[in-house]
Amino acid sequence: MVSRLELSERMYTLRRSLNEFMFFLRHSRMTQVGIALLSAIVLMAVFADFIAPYDPYARVGNAMEPPSPEHPLGTNDMGQDILSELIYGARISLFVGFVAAISGTLIGTLVGIVAGYFGGVVDEVLMRITDIWLSMPMLLFTIFLASILTKLPSFTIMVSVILAIALTSWPGAARVVRSAVLGIKERPYIEAARAVGSSDARIMFRHILPNTVPILVVMVINRVAGAMLSEASLSFLGLGDPTAKSWGMIIHYAMIRNAVMLRMWWWFLPPGIMISITVLAVVLIGIGLEEYFNPRLRR
Amino acid sequence: MKTYLIRRAIASVITFFAIITIVFLLARFTGDPLAELEDDPRMTPEVLATIKALFGLDKPLHIQYISFIENLFRGELGFSLHYMRPVAAVIAERLPYTLALLIPSITLSNYLAYKIGIECGWRRGSKFDIAMVTSSIFLRSVPYFWLAILFLYVFSVELGVTPLFGAMTPGNRPSLTWEWIADYLWHYALPFTVLVFRATIVRVLYIRNTLIDILGEDYITTAFAKGLPDKEVKYKHAARNALIPIITVLGLRYAYLIDGAILTETVFSYPGTGRLVYEAVVNRDYWLLQGVVVILASSVIVVNFVIDLIYSLLDPRVRYR
Repeated sequence: MVSRLELSERMYTLRRSLNEFMFFLRHSRMTQVGIALLSAIVLMAVFADFIAPYDPYARVGNAMEPPSPEHPLGTNDMGQDILSELIYGARISLFVGFVAAISGTLIGTLVGIVAGYFGGVVDEVLMRITDIWLSMPMLLFTIFLASILTKLPSFTIMVSVILAIALTSWPGAARVVRSAVLGIKERPYIEAARAVGSSDARIMFRHILPNTVPILVVMVINRVAGAMLSEASLSFLGLGDPTAKSWGMIIHYAMIRNAVMLRMWWWFLPPGIMISITVLAVVLIGIGLEEYFNPRLRR
Repeated sequence: MKTYLIRRAIASVITFFAIITIVFLLARFTGDPLAELEDDPRMTPEVLATIKALFGLDKPLHIQYISFIENLFRGELGFSLHYMRPVAAVIAERLPYTLALLIPSITLSNYLAYKIGIECGWRRGSKFDIAMVTSSIFLRSVPYFWLAILFLYVFSVELGVTPLFGAMTPGNRPSLTWEWIADYLWHYALPFTVLVFRATIVRVLYIRNTLIDILGEDYITTAFAKGLPDKEVKYKHAARNALIPIITVLGLRYAYLIDGAILTETVFSYPGTGRLVYEAVVNRDYWLLQGVVVILASSVIVVNFVIDLIYSLLDPRVRYR
């Protein structure tokens, strides 16, 4: 149980770090832009039902119509409104991006903490595996994993895609967390915890893990950008869920229906722009957070 | 030197077996490797029986694993359902196209990134530097395949200066005539440009930051203090030391470019191994996909080994570790 005193103390530190962050935010234009862009896209995803002019799954016009007042970005080969597809697409891209990034970072954190804490042979073996995995073409293995995992009857396509991205993107996090753990485990309070007989698991997850949180936040944010790009690439290659309208999937269908040759730029350009803006927003926030947690990077 | 070489060689072999094992286990634990072949009406029982016997598919897992590796060393990678041909033959036909894309583009993009990165780092904060850093951050956020589509749309469709698809005009056969070479290069230009452009822009930032770190070192201050001209400090002291981290991650660059080739070749319908990945996925040709993964991963291991060799020649400290 947490005592009341401890609670109020925690609230105080929380408020203070929040204040500090707000102060930092006021001076970092890049982070402001990133947060504003990402909030706009998150709002668009949440309120898609109200913003989108049509149901993206309904036939609301003729096939492959050019832009018109009724359909600002035209219609696709099924007569579905492209603008509505685009607005709903934010849901899939954000969801897959965040879930895959968080799961990938969790796997990496687990590997990194175990390797850093136990050291020796465990560290040697885990880091060798990490390095091997890190040296491989990531997208190639993500494609391989995704196409093989979808064969398993218990996995939906989206779960396979998320798992495939998570399973190929953990090595970066593992390396970073490990080197952080190497520093943390030499601190006096870890020795104190060991002296009073805390178990390895308790020391790792109760005393070391909380100290890696700032790094983890930056890791997750940076991974979200990569995961969203991976999701887009997989969907583009036809590995996404054909019924879920992600931005990558829209481009996939535009490509197989020859939209580029037919000069239907309103079909394949906007989804790419949406992916770029969202990824850019996340990247800008990532750069900002890195500067916040590591003041030496600030100019 | 010799012990260093042997150590690196052993590490490469371990990496190779680790990757092979992962591929084998993943492929076996996610269903019957013959399922797709058995379902296909074109498949004769004789061919099925041959594959079954060759890969020991009716035997226990560890025997299957051993025959998988044996077959690998014999160049036997299985049977492609879509092409109705051995996987190895299909890959052998496609691999030259990809290598001809990757090797020149890795060379050129590193050279360009090095030149631009050094310039940015040396003139940190200049208009040129800010323009490069900004465009690097922006272009990193643009999906690779979409950038390729953009190039295709602008140059092939709107301007009509480059072909729409393929590695040569349909009907042409590879030959050593000037017409064929010209036709090949005409088709080669756009995918090559996309790969080089993207790889360069992503690299510039890293080299720039490396140079900035180097400029903070004491030996640079010393070089300036003893009155060396700026040019000499820049090229002989700073830029040369920025080369080392560039070479160490060359293997990673190669792996990154393979990912780029998968997307670029798909967009331009370029008949390399990258496009083969896409075709295997679309046609659910799992043997082919597995074969391409094994071959491309092995090529990464070979490239990494060669880079280690070059690195040990360039930086003598490595050899004595």
